[in-house]
Amino acid sequence: MRFFLSLALLWPASAADYARDVQPLLKRRCYGCHGPAAQMSHLRLDQRASLLAGGESGVPAIEPGHANRSLLIRYVSGTDPKLVMPPKGPRLTAEEIAVLTAWIDEGAVWPGAADAAQPEDPRRKHWAFQPLTATPVPSVRNQDWVRNPIDAFVLAGLERKGWLPNPPASRTDLLRRLYLDLLGLPPTLAEQQRFRGDFDAEVAHLLARPEYGERWARHWLDVVRYADTNGYERDAIKPSVYQYRDYVIRALNRDKPFDRFLTEQLAGDELPDANAETMTATGYYRLGPWDDEPADPAEDRFDQLDDMVSTTSQAFLGLTLGCARCHNHKFEPLSTRDYYSMVAVFRGLERPREGRTELDRPVGDWPAIDRFLAREKQIADLRAAARRAWLAGGQSQLPPEAVAAFLLPAKQRSEAQSKLVRDHAKALDAELLQLPVEQQVAALKKATPDLDRAYILEERTPPATHILIRGKASSPGPEVTPMVPQLLAASFVAPAPTPRTSGRRLALANWMTQRQNPLTARVIVNRVWQWHFGEGLVRTPSDFGVMGAKPTHPELLDWLAVWFMDQGWSLKKLHTLILSSNTYRMAKTNNAKYAQEDPENRLFWRVPYRRLQAEALLDSMLAVSGKLNPQMYGPQVYPEIPPEALEGSSDPGKIWAPFDEPKASRRAIYFVVKRSLMVPLLEVLDLCDTARSAAQRQTTSVAPQALQLFNGAFVNRQAKALAERLRREAGPDAAQQIDLAYRLALARAPSAAERNSLTAFLREQSLEELCRVLFNLNEFAYAN
Amino acid sequence: MRIKKNRRDFLWQTGGGFAGIALTHLLTQDRFWKVEAAARAPHFPAKAKRAVFLFMNGAPSQVDTFDPKPELTRRNGQAYQGALAVGSNGRPVGYLMQSPFVFAPRGRSGLPISDLFPHTARFADDLCVIRSMYTDTAAHASGCLQMNTGSIFLGKPSMGAWVTYGLGAENESLPAFVVMTDPRGGPIGSASNWTAGYMPAAYQGTLFRSSGAPLLDLRPPVDDRTQRRSLGLLKELNEQHRARYPDDTELAARIQSYELAYRMQTEAAATVDLTRESETTRRRYGLDEAVTADFGKKCLITRRLLEKGVRFVQLYSGGGHIEDTWDGHNDCITNHRLHAKETDRPIAALMEDLKATGLWDETLLIWGGEFGRTPTSEGVGKPGRDHDWHGFSMWLAGAGVKGGQAIGATDELGFAAVEERVHVSDLHATILHLLGFDHTRLSWFYSGMNQRLTGVRGEVVRQVLA
Repeated sequence: MRFFLSLALLWPASAADYARDVQPLLKRRCYGCHGPAAQMSHLRLDQRASLLAGGESGVPAIEPGHANRSLLIRYVSGTDPKLVMPPKGPRLTAEEIAVLTAWIDEGAVWPGAADAAQPEDPRRKHWAFQPLTATPVPSVRNQDWVRNPIDAFVLAGLERKGWLPNPPASRTDLLRRLYLDLLGLPPTLAEQQRFRGDFDAEVAHLLARPEYGERWARHWLDVVRYADTNGYERDAIKPSVYQYRDYVIRALNRDKPFDRFLTEQLAGDELPDANAETMTATGYYRLGPWDDEPADPAEDRFDQLDDMVSTTSQAFLGLTLGCARCHNHKFEPLSTRDYYSMVAVFRGLERPREGRTELDRPVGDWPAIDRFLAREKQIADLRAAARRAWLAGGQSQLPPEAVAAFLLPAKQRSEAQSKLVRDHAKALDAELLQLPVEQQVAALKKATPDLDRAYILEERTPPATHILIRGKASSPGPEVTPMVPQLLAASFVAPAPTPRTSGRRLALANWMTQRQNPLTARVIVNRVWQWHFGEGLVRTPSDFGVMGAKPTHPELLDWLAVWFMDQGWSLKKLHTLILSSNTYRMAKTNNAKYAQEDPENRLFWRVPYRRLQAEALLDSMLAVSGKLNPQMYGPQVYPEIPPEALEGSSDPGKIWAPFDEPKASRRAIYFVVKRSLMVPLLEVLDLCDTARSAAQRQTTSVAPQALQLFNGAFVNRQAKALAERLRREAGPDAAQQIDLAYRLALARAPSAAERNSLTAFLREQSLEELCRVLFNLNEFAYAN
Repeated sequence: MRIKKNRRDFLWQTGGGFAGIALTHLLTQDRFWKVEAAARAPHFPAKAKRAVFLFMNGAPSQVDTFDPKPELTRRNGQAYQGALAVGSNGRPVGYLMQSPFVFAPRGRSGLPISDLFPHTARFADDLCVIRSMYTDTAAHASGCLQMNTGSIFLGKPSMGAWVTYGLGAENESLPAFVVMTDPRGGPIGSASNWTAGYMPAAYQGTLFRSSGAPLLDLRPPVDDRTQRRSLGLLKELNEQHRARYPDDTELAARIQSYELAYRMQTEAAATVDLTRESETTRRRYGLDEAVTADFGKKCLITRRLLEKGVRFVQLYSGGGHIEDTWDGHNDCITNHRLHAKETDRPIAALMEDLKATGLWDETLLIWGGEFGRTPTSEGVGKPGRDHDWHGFSMWLAGAGVKGGQAIGATDELGFAAVEERVHVSDLHATILHLLGFDHTRLSWFYSGMNQRLTGVRGEVVRQVLA
């Protein structure tokens, strides 16, 4: 602004003078809606700062020096029939427009106190945007309770109130809690018997188990809106998408540092050591819904980019940047410029496909991909030449008119010829497979083997990105460069192109994983806390903004975030810390006085009592019944669903594979997530919506849940299997059967009262019925 | 219905806006708010307490149903000269094609209705036809989503979910929001059309079958005595366990859900048991004729569901693809004859019964599909019509609706809404208004925003209101 002021001093006379020409015009025609009294769309034309910042659209009304790029001129000249100003009364005359044009072209000189400093936006002072600093561990009176700093922070809060933490959970309760939390499975009989009371050793043991990845990957899949299909009319399976799911399981099991895990998903193809694994990780971008028949392809392009911006900002930063697509964020200090700068980061990403058919891509290091693609081209060329020679040489046994049709380019074929081609395609293929060229092909394939494939996007040269006025693809505004939200941009290092890509996503990932980034570590540490306890320290885990919830223990959150980075972003170390605290080991029982004063448990005087997630509930039933198929990884499996459930589908006969019990008895993370038909048992148990990033599962208790869990095929099948198992392993004695059933399902012996009830029940009812009841117990679905 | 719900959402719903720091403070005090009471009051008193959406899946043609176009008849066979994009998905555009159906003025109001609907026409004075509907998409998947959820994108709650969220359930032994699909298949997009989206799953539509057991897993795998005994044991053990957590309402709710489920077994099964209905009633709904039997059964079940306090019923006419729905690409005339015949008598019987039982004054009826069909033929040589999203007709009737009128108009040929244009979001705003809600205040805080059925659009169509 100072620059323009000095210009005003240097330039003697001007074609359009603000005080003489511009202000009276604006006052006469515009102030009514955009002046001191009213500011429609938050825009006022009597203040230069407002003109430069723009209204709620976030697009500046004027760009000094460039009238042709200025929104004000565009609106008053009526080039866009949908956006004409003033909306009522006569249009501005050509002379009036010329005055404004000249004024802007000359730098929009604004005499007087125009450069009054803008007050800083107080929202920038919001806690989550402040740098992380090492918080000191508080001192507490009851040092005996403190096993690690988590306990000190929690206890300090309680002691301020004069409160005591809940007593420790019993050994049996805690063992089952640990297993369900880390593996999503209850401890087996052998594991219960082996356990000698060393919880720290047990935590280490469980974190090394492969089932840990299967349980915890599901949490991450919620955040990244994972589903196996696209939704919409065809709801097609995303080819090779399960490779992403398997990538997450492996990454967690190997304790891939979170900063690296993040970077691989955002920029696995841009890394210097890019390989099949890191490329597979970028499948992250492509997991959302996709309409293969969009109403407006230009808008659809930005809808796809919006999916990436919204998911990335919520998942990793806890920012609802998606709200700034059509106007500046209503609540957060985020602008449309911030939004479209992030769009620019992803702008080059394109979906490989042929029409409506989506394609997966070969993955590996770049030289391997180059070799593979060269081989594919060589094979295609060889085959095309051989095919031409075969057809033209008159050797084919097909009818001559079919041969003639095959020789024509597809576009030149008549309808009848196209039909001939379709009808004889298989026969021709059979002939071609006999040709000597196939031996060459085989040799080439042997020399350069196939690569793994993954469901990823490809980056092409990104076109320029503009702010879209009101979010409309047809209304481009000023151009933006790839950038992170301005509020946090101080440490952002501009992208440097890699040999294959623009480097934009790598720059984003590098900025996110810098220690100075105030959000990334806080957000993931909070998520892990929530996945252990049911509630985060910030109870809006994907919204750390002004509108999000304040942390219950801000110092603890910051201490954990710093510690986590110090430990090399290791999730397993974070689990170990949390699980070895006395905080985690408290009982979940109630305290009437505390509950009265702190019903939300904000001081964390107990461990919250939450129902198991749907997947863990089903997996536990399979484990207890003995039917669990432990096979890991691979394509989606189709669990048994009632045939009636298919009735709502537009293609009921085609979309579900027939029931195959061993396959369907794998862990639920391998069940197909079909956007138009969720597995009813998972859906009724509050599986998250998959259209967008989901921060937290809901908990509802409604009758249809009870119907499916009590009457449904899955649970009754497991009840039968468990009954057989009990007879087999405990023998015919009812007391022994009851005892074993409790140990398997609840990891404890039944109480005397329970034993009596169950014994009485078994006198008149079957063991299968008893097992059905067992699987429906609240205690089965809730870890004590 | 019992829903663990957080206070944040509740405040956003009732507070209706941004209250800054004070609100944030409240949110952090008491996060959860449990819905104990079943029924909830709307924003303002309204006549309509429940709604039925008769969804004509596949998109009925306006010029063959409720929007007579003499000019189209006059110019039959000519090429279309206008500027509109005609034809979806690259399909060929043919010539202007008149409707073979006769439009006569019906009732005292003289509302014109084509002879596809002789039975519905008896209620002409009750129908409020909107002839100037338009939508944003020409594809079935996104069109159905927009009509049902207000958005062409997946993941938004459906209108039935919003109404259930707003009004709660009147009868906890039946689902509050019931969906009945066509035996030929569901609509394109299936359950995304009755989803609860980002709201709790309890608000989503429940598929209700018109034959066999109406709900998934409604039939116990054992005899009733055993079922009761097992439920008794479950309750006994659960109560012993709950003694350790006497304050926990979630555990109590889960115990109660099994009792509700047991009642649902009887009540839901009784609702679809039509044997007690008289022979006359069954005939009126067309249960005696193959062509009307299925939709007739669904309409009769609808009446019984409404009598038991179900909030929102959605019936689909047509399922699967193309000619099994109203999607008359090849032969729109035969197609519409069939689908109109399947539904006309049952819908009239439902209206008749609602009037007889007095439910009419508390029930809103909505009829229509995801968009309309072109006044041109699709390609040449066959009487098909392609998708038309620029203009189409729907009707409303019942509680709070001013009948016997047609609102708005399409152009002289029937392509596009030109007068008093009504966007799908305007229709949604009007429906919510009729049910007692200000559509700008019925909201759910999610993903950093105050989400609404109508998004950032929607104006109540005042002419609809009685």
